[in-house]
Amino acid sequence: MAFEKGARPLARCLQCTKHERAALPIRTFTTSRAALLETTNDPASTETAPPPARQPMSMNPELVSRPSQERRVVAETGKQPVASRRRRYMLKQTQNIPFEQLPFQCFQEARKVLQEDRKEKLEQIRVQRERMERLQAQNVAPQDEGRKNHRLKSMRESLDHLKILADINDPMVKKTFEDKQGDMNKPIYRHLADKKWRSYKRQVLMQRITQMNVVPDVLPAVDPVVSTSLMFGRRNVQHGEIVDSRVSEIAPFLEIQPYDQGERLYTVAVVDPDVPNVKKDGFDYRCHYLASNVRISPTETMVRLGDLSEKQVILPWLAPYSQKGLPYQRLAIFIMEQPKLESAADSACRSQEIDVAKIKEAGRYTKRHGFILRSFNTTQDLKPVGADLFRTVYDEGTAGVMERAGVIGGDIEFKRKKIEPLPYKKLPGSRYR
Amino acid sequence: MKAPSTALLRTFSPLWRSEATSATARGCIAQQQQADFSSTPANQARNKRAGPKKDARITQIRYHLQHPLTPRPLRFSRNRALRHWTIHRAWQLYQFKLRNKQQSDLEKQYQSMANACEALRLIDNQGLTAEERLKLGEGEAEGNQMGKLFRIAMQKKGIWDGVPIEYARIQTDTPPRDGWNHAWTR
Repeated sequence: MAFEKGARPLARCLQCTKHERAALPIRTFTTSRAALLETTNDPASTETAPPPARQPMSMNPELVSRPSQERRVVAETGKQPVASRRRRYMLKQTQNIPFEQLPFQCFQEARKVLQEDRKEKLEQIRVQRERMERLQAQNVAPQDEGRKNHRLKSMRESLDHLKILADINDPMVKKTFEDKQGDMNKPIYRHLADKKWRSYKRQVLMQRITQMNVVPDVLPAVDPVVSTSLMFGRRNVQHGEIVDSRVSEIAPFLEIQPYDQGERLYTVAVVDPDVPNVKKDGFDYRCHYLASNVRISPTETMVRLGDLSEKQVILPWLAPYSQKGLPYQRLAIFIMEQPKLESAADSACRSQEIDVAKIKEAGRYTKRHGFILRSFNTTQDLKPVGADLFRTVYDEGTAGVMERAGVIGGDIEFKRKKIEPLPYKKLPGSRYR
Repeated sequence: MKAPSTALLRTFSPLWRSEATSATARGCIAQQQQADFSSTPANQARNKRAGPKKDARITQIRYHLQHPLTPRPLRFSRNRALRHWTIHRAWQLYQFKLRNKQQSDLEKQYQSMANACEALRLIDNQGLTAEERLKLGEGEAEGNQMGKLFRIAMQKKGIWDGVPIEYARIQTDTPPRDGWNHAWTR
């Protein structure tokens, strides 16, 4: 193969890769997905994309590399060729080279180091798996059962950690994740997504729910481990945003993204802790939505709160409203995980189902007004794992929304009680009037 | 009597100086927090030509960061950035392993020293432990014979005697002015 003068040093690198390429499946940078993920037990897809058709690049000032062509480009388009001839030649050649085989010496050395490390990690994973199997096969005395389980648990944790370590240095994994094409069934992508969420979005959420005192008001504490995002129709709502009452009239979509393996059942509750109670001179709770047995897995995250079945919904969506003269109403959305099954190994889902019909029959939690989420959590043994928040104020659509929802009191206006100042605090002269 | 001039005082005293704020401070004062506390960007259609108005503080920060000694931020194409990242990760990994290896070497050295000291502590000046003495029918070791070698070792006498003379250079904070003397021989 004849190489041009400017590209001769490069040619040496290219030639060796070209021979290899004949045998290897070509995986270009853009089409490959999760190439090196053997840890997850699923055979990596080996489909190859046909290389894109070559276009005539002779007139592109960024890609010409022959002196005669360069002269032609300068004469015809008046543009000078960009950068060095070697670089232009390389750019022209590298359209078809997969990212991993790009002929940069330092890059290739770095890849070698990383792959060596990956091999080590895979070996460690294999060893750890064998160890776990051996331990599982052991028969232990009943008093040592707890210790064995504890050891198995910690071994599983270290295995998960190793799985992440094996893939975290892969540039293709990073690229795939940044393109949002990561497969959430694989531990590495779940890990990356979790880190990303915790770095910003979760902090914002925590700030909102603590600043607006949702956390001690509705539930004593929450440590979110699943991320949530709320959508009314096509409108994405930030945590704590004030939503127009006409927008929030229909039940929203809730995206619940867990970052750990497996299917599980969640209970979703929407509670308004700001319902005024004039008699008490205080505030009550009102439940706007309550549904149990919502099946969520890392890949199936979308919940349409309006479309859940009869077996799941305890209290259907009631449009949130405020009344005239009231400050904003907080609508706290809590995601609670249902208790774990004892024998989680044999079934696909790891949580127990809640008997919705029984709850409805008992009637204690079917009244919206005065719904206390703490008590519901205690009786059903639920654990809060996620939270979200939006607000509503009295606006021009609220009266209509309340009328359509069949709620009376759309025309009530709340006013502050006027407190007469004490006589000596009155303005001089006013007490003689 | 004529009052003394305060011109000199005015020049140097901070109390007399007129309140001329710096350009940075003026910029900051001119633009207080105008946007409301929301994360959504300001309406772009308001300012037809220039897009949303830049915060004066941001302008000032950018201006002062633009110093000839400030390193340029790395601006790479995507592939280039990924390659850079790969190399960076490999280098970090290499250094991590190196550090781990050094640490484990040190630990091993410390352990073997400790083991040697323990062995010394358990033998008498004949090199026999208490059990070996019993086996040989020697009876109990007398007085301070047990662990004598250990005590001598702990005195650490003369351990700096055989240190080469090169190590005796006075330790300084900076390297010598004439660099390394390659011609030096003993």
